[in-house]
Amino acid sequence: MTEHPSSVPDARQRAKKAPPARKSRKARLTAWLFITPAFLAYAAFVLVPLGMSVYYSFLRWDGIGEARFHGLTNYITVLTDPKLLQIIGNAFQLVLYFTIIPVGLGLAVASAIRGQMNGRFGMATRTILFLPQVIPLVAAGIAWSWMFASTGLINQALKSVGLSSWAKGWLGDFVWALPAVGVIGAWVLLGLCTMLLVTGITKIDTSLYEAARLDGARPWHEFRYITLPGLRQEIGVCVTVTVIAALASFDIVYISTQGGPGITTTVPGLEIYRLAFAHRQVGLASALAIVLMVLVLLSIAPVQWFTRDKK
Amino acid sequence: MAGLSLHALHKTYGKVEVIKGVDLTIEDGEFVVFVGPSGCGKSTLLRMIAGLEDITGGELYIGDKLCNDVEPRDRSIAMVFQSYALYPHMTVYDNVGFGLKLAKTPKDVRDQKIREAARILKMEHLLDRKPGQLSGGQRQRVAIGRAIVRKPEVFLFDEPLSNLDAALRVDTRMEIAKLHADLGATMVYVTHDQVEAMTLADKIVVLDAGVVQQVGSPIELYQRPTNLFVAGFIGSPKMNFVEVTVEAVDADSITVTSKDVASLRVPARTEGVDVNSLLTLGIRPHDLLPANSGAIVGRVSLVERLGNETIVNIELASGAPWLAVLDGDQALRVGESLALAAEPAKAILLDKDGKALLAPLK
Repeated sequence: MTEHPSSVPDARQRAKKAPPARKSRKARLTAWLFITPAFLAYAAFVLVPLGMSVYYSFLRWDGIGEARFHGLTNYITVLTDPKLLQIIGNAFQLVLYFTIIPVGLGLAVASAIRGQMNGRFGMATRTILFLPQVIPLVAAGIAWSWMFASTGLINQALKSVGLSSWAKGWLGDFVWALPAVGVIGAWVLLGLCTMLLVTGITKIDTSLYEAARLDGARPWHEFRYITLPGLRQEIGVCVTVTVIAALASFDIVYISTQGGPGITTTVPGLEIYRLAFAHRQVGLASALAIVLMVLVLLSIAPVQWFTRDKK
Repeated sequence: MAGLSLHALHKTYGKVEVIKGVDLTIEDGEFVVFVGPSGCGKSTLLRMIAGLEDITGGELYIGDKLCNDVEPRDRSIAMVFQSYALYPHMTVYDNVGFGLKLAKTPKDVRDQKIREAARILKMEHLLDRKPGQLSGGQRQRVAIGRAIVRKPEVFLFDEPLSNLDAALRVDTRMEIAKLHADLGATMVYVTHDQVEAMTLADKIVVLDAGVVQQVGSPIELYQRPTNLFVAGFIGSPKMNFVEVTVEAVDADSITVTSKDVASLRVPARTEGVDVNSLLTLGIRPHDLLPANSGAIVGRVSLVERLGNETIVNIELASGAPWLAVLDGDQALRVGESLALAAEPAKAILLDKDGKALLAPLK
């Protein structure tokens, strides 16, 4: 017997092993099998509608009759029509309210309750601030419409402190309607941002704050040099979510003002709905939707870049 | 540089008292180590000195200044944390210079001090890196650099080596000792590792349950522990104890015996000790020697042969487990009987309250 006995099973095992190329092909196939269900769902509900929207955007079509190829005319209209440009501008104005207020206040609250996170005060604050998140947007919109009405709570409060001259129908005012809608959106998004930021701040090592205090830091320094950098990724998520909520807003505006007075609170989401289903301009609505998508991507790309993990 | 003075320092959390009246004086330039088991209050005491915990009662002086209500930044102290506490988004350069930046130190002076600290700690090549790109030892060095660059009056170290591996711990320990020698600064160091305590300290403070058990030099604590806790805590492996009966009392020694120990005459303080009273005999494992006519006889239960020494677990007649560390390689077998002798001068006797009956120093 020339062969060592112990080498026989090894040799058999080697013979049984698949060659590397075959093995990697099998691994790829397995991976695709796992991905397929999710990919099919994504394709059915995202990629196909997106492709169809792009296709419709090059058509002149009322949604029922015969469609005609319209070239880039719909896009030119979106980018040159003063009314549509104002509508896009309205969405960007809403970003100021939907993003800056919730993220700013969320940061302030998270910093303020950092020390009492597990106490009753911290729990109560988090619960109260998260409540708007569990209220349906339609209900929030209606409730705020009542509060902003001529006889609503806001005006009653102003009158009670002697500021009757400031009282007005906020949602019907050409100057104040958009800020009023912005306040509603800020209120709704504040809970989400606060939750994300409060959760994020608990992950920051408390010894960093202690080291900073020993280094001579005051509360502002702690916020500037520890809290803000430590919450970079959470801030990124908040800004991304709120910017998308502002640019793609529909429900709050539809419920509270229906885009009025005039078009002062009309946003692209609402205009797409109107163009497609009221004015039967499916091609133009699709072009506006594609432009909106590009604007959203362009707006959040720098946010993602600035807040990426730099470790 | 400055010393520290703690007068009847108390700390309570609600109804729980964790520091129960600590009186302590730390001289200028002294290296003092707080040592004790987990939960004994050593880190709390350090944090009270740092100003990170409020002082419930008593007085804390840094130098001549009463610091009970002084903000941490105004105490002229620097602290090295167990977790390093390096700012993760800043480079090593910025981490080290952060305190100077907040103190509005001119940029050129700041740069000079940061580079000087980096030179002392041999980390010039790390200045552009972020903490995430450093090893544990390098991070610890940066944390020390951040402390020394501000030239504080007092350095505080909170278990700074506990996250390092054994080899690195020895190296960093030597670096800290060298740093103390070079800077001559007052340093307070918390650890539960008595090797660190014994090798670094000018003075060790042994704490248990928020009470100072003994303060003294490492050798003093090792050779003359004042109570059962210190005798058992200081020294590795820990001291062997067995209950004994007083056979005879002389002017400067007590002769004790028990089921496990043949008659042994131990130099001790004899006031208040009566014949037939019960005491505790303590002998360190390193002070036991194999001897055919030894006073202590037991059965070998485990032998660990390390080459240069042999650690023997023995079970005495009463069932008490003892440990002996014998010189050289001893070929002992489990189950065999072993007689051990102890030098009486190195044994200690403790009364029923756990207080050591130490013979007066000659």
